[in-house]
Amino acid sequence: MIALQLSRSRRRVWWISLLMVAFSITGLALSWTNPAIKAPLRPGLDFTGGTQIQLERLCEDACTPLQANAVEAILGEVALSADDTTNAPSLDSARVQILDGGQSLSLRTPALSAAQSQEVIEAVTPLAGPFQTQGQSVDTIGPSLGSQLLLSSLVSLLVAFAGIALYISIRYDGRYAVLALLALAHDVVIVCGIFAWLGLWIGLEVDSLFAVSLLTIAGYSVNDTVVVFDRIRERQREDGDLPINDQVDRAVSATLTRTIYTSGTTLLPLIALILFGGATLYWFAIALALGVIVGSWSSIALAPSLLTIWSGRPRASASA
Amino acid sequence: MARQQGWFALILSLAITSALWLFVISPGVDLGLDLRGGSQLLLEVQPAGSITKITKTELESVKSVLDRRVNSLGVAESTLQTVGDDQLVLQLPGETDPSKAAEKLGKTALLEFRAQKPGISEEMRGLQRLRSQVKSILAAKEARGDSDETSIDPEAFAEAQKALGLEGSAGSEQEQLEQVLAKADRQFADGFEPAAFNGKLLTRAGTRGPTEQSPGWAVTLSFNSEGGDKFAELTKSIAGTDRLLGIFLDGSPISEASVGSQFKVAGITGGNAEITGRFSAEEANDLAELINGGALPLPVEILQVRTIGPSLGAENVQRSLVAALSGLALVTVFMVLIYRLAGAVAVVALALYALFNLSVYSLIGVTLTLPGIAGFILSIGMAVDANVLIFERIKDELRSGNTLVRSIETAFSQAFSSIIDGHLTTLISCAALFTLGTGLVKGFAATLGIGVVLSLFTALTCTRTLLRFLMGYQGLRRPTNFLPQRQLPTQSA
Repeated sequence: MIALQLSRSRRRVWWISLLMVAFSITGLALSWTNPAIKAPLRPGLDFTGGTQIQLERLCEDACTPLQANAVEAILGEVALSADDTTNAPSLDSARVQILDGGQSLSLRTPALSAAQSQEVIEAVTPLAGPFQTQGQSVDTIGPSLGSQLLLSSLVSLLVAFAGIALYISIRYDGRYAVLALLALAHDVVIVCGIFAWLGLWIGLEVDSLFAVSLLTIAGYSVNDTVVVFDRIRERQREDGDLPINDQVDRAVSATLTRTIYTSGTTLLPLIALILFGGATLYWFAIALALGVIVGSWSSIALAPSLLTIWSGRPRASASA
Repeated sequence: MARQQGWFALILSLAITSALWLFVISPGVDLGLDLRGGSQLLLEVQPAGSITKITKTELESVKSVLDRRVNSLGVAESTLQTVGDDQLVLQLPGETDPSKAAEKLGKTALLEFRAQKPGISEEMRGLQRLRSQVKSILAAKEARGDSDETSIDPEAFAEAQKALGLEGSAGSEQEQLEQVLAKADRQFADGFEPAAFNGKLLTRAGTRGPTEQSPGWAVTLSFNSEGGDKFAELTKSIAGTDRLLGIFLDGSPISEASVGSQFKVAGITGGNAEITGRFSAEEANDLAELINGGALPLPVEILQVRTIGPSLGAENVQRSLVAALSGLALVTVFMVLIYRLAGAVAVVALALYALFNLSVYSLIGVTLTLPGIAGFILSIGMAVDANVLIFERIKDELRSGNTLVRSIETAFSQAFSSIIDGHLTTLISCAALFTLGTGLVKGFAATLGIGVVLSLFTALTCTRTLLRFLMGYQGLRRPTNFLPQRQLPTQSA
């Protein structure tokens, strides 16, 4: 068994976590002050509303690779027809991305009706078509739905936090709940921070799947921390006369193998998902994998080492 | 020992039932549109006019109107469901061009009252009979679930086809019947004069239970003052004649009534009317709902349209399948390498876990979507955690010199509290996500939640029962099946 002496290197642990959190908050702040983003994370279609049209070109032989600005120029001239309920939005702000080395394209426009999206597809067909009708996808999300999604994600995140805190304070005590939530916030902030930097560097956008991944990370992080806490409590019952530092060191050493193995077995399917899961799940799996890694760090190192500075001998919890 | 055999029998029968259910009885797990291709539209009913807030009642009326329109689109397996108080989700599997659907759904329902043209009553009665005959045959066929059995007098049918100019048409009997009905409906509709007035003049439709004078349920109509006057005028013109009053929704007839001769002088006045007939409560309710839907001028806004091409969907299925299987394979290798015999037991428990999971999805009708698959894959990783916790404890116990059987028992009881805590905290966040989240988040929470509950069951019972069962064999009862020799204390039992 590995005898880890966490209490000796706890300052180093705090520095590492502090630096990671600072790095993340810088990313979030830079993203917020960036005039093109104006939010801590670059919001995707799910949150801003709009239409995303993905088209796969059907090329008999090698068709000439597309130029994004050529497509944009065409879009700028399209006059969409208005229908009863919506006006015809302007396509001046439409964004064009060329994917797969010129073989696919993705168009981001203001929210369009189904008929209007069809007009857009028809407009770019002479230049870029013909398209494979089987492989195309059109997503339209109204702006009100976007804010609804954002709100419901935030509310469910907060309610999940509160529920978990309540459970831990009942099963353990308030201190454990505070530390578990601190570890959780640490994990969520770091994953958000990394995605904020990715948003600045490669224009990565967060969608509702990202919100899902944050919620999962929250659940995983607490699960992980609680198992370590459970061991610490067990040590306190059995080695009550030892200093708190030694109790925590023993408990962490005893669960270290388990934490590493469990993170490992959770990471394995995620790695499979990253490698084979395709574009839709790629960033989702990366967010989860980052969360698992940071979550293991916070439950092995951060939360227990913070527990050791809670002054005096912790009151043994009454519940078993 | 007897208790353990009971568990063993339970697990075995659960496994067999799940496998039978999944592979033989049920058609399998429902795939979401992102996995099989198609379009999904999210619609919101908007308040308008005197209605300032949409409630379930308005939503249901709008839904019943939209149901008819969706059916007329002819997309197989389309579903229309209400979400919350004011939203509807329409799924059109296999439909990659939802613009037609969107156009049809976006229109406000149009309810009209029309009077029959004079002098064609004989013809109209014939059409009326034909329509009701064909409708009841179609309904009977649908109830029986067959479409081949002949249930109509071929001569009379051929005559009816001839009268409608449909003789010699091709297709199955079902299709021919539908053609006849469609044509008869059109001719019937042509027998009416242009709309006298539309549903905007109607304030409300309701139902009334049977009374002594009129057995059977009736549909009641209330008009506003302008509507009441127009309705009186309309009914006066056809009262006591053979002419019918037709109720039309979006141009097609939904009901017709005759007006008794006692209304010849003034028409039906007072702003209220009743449509009597031999309605059942349900029929009356359906008709009232349709009329209400047609009368409520509530616009429907399309909030979201998602279209996934079928090949993209198939590719998604394939990719997630590869990811799930390779994830499982990697975990298998890992567990057997680290925990040997116990690892192999855990892998069996995991396989059972995956089997139970899929059959629960199919049993309670979880529609599997991409995030759902992600939740499933993730829960595999988490299911391993309980086993790892137990096996690490077994190792600890063995190292401190306990006998194998005792180590196993102690490990289960010691690991219990952290397993419960870990699973419950995850379940708490699933519950928060499920109740407060929308679509995508909800699906993910459901699959993860099911996974957490099942992993609790498989880890605590399957792994334990299997281990106890194997420990019944002398040859397997060696600590080295769980821990390398060098790590055992010398006084090893």
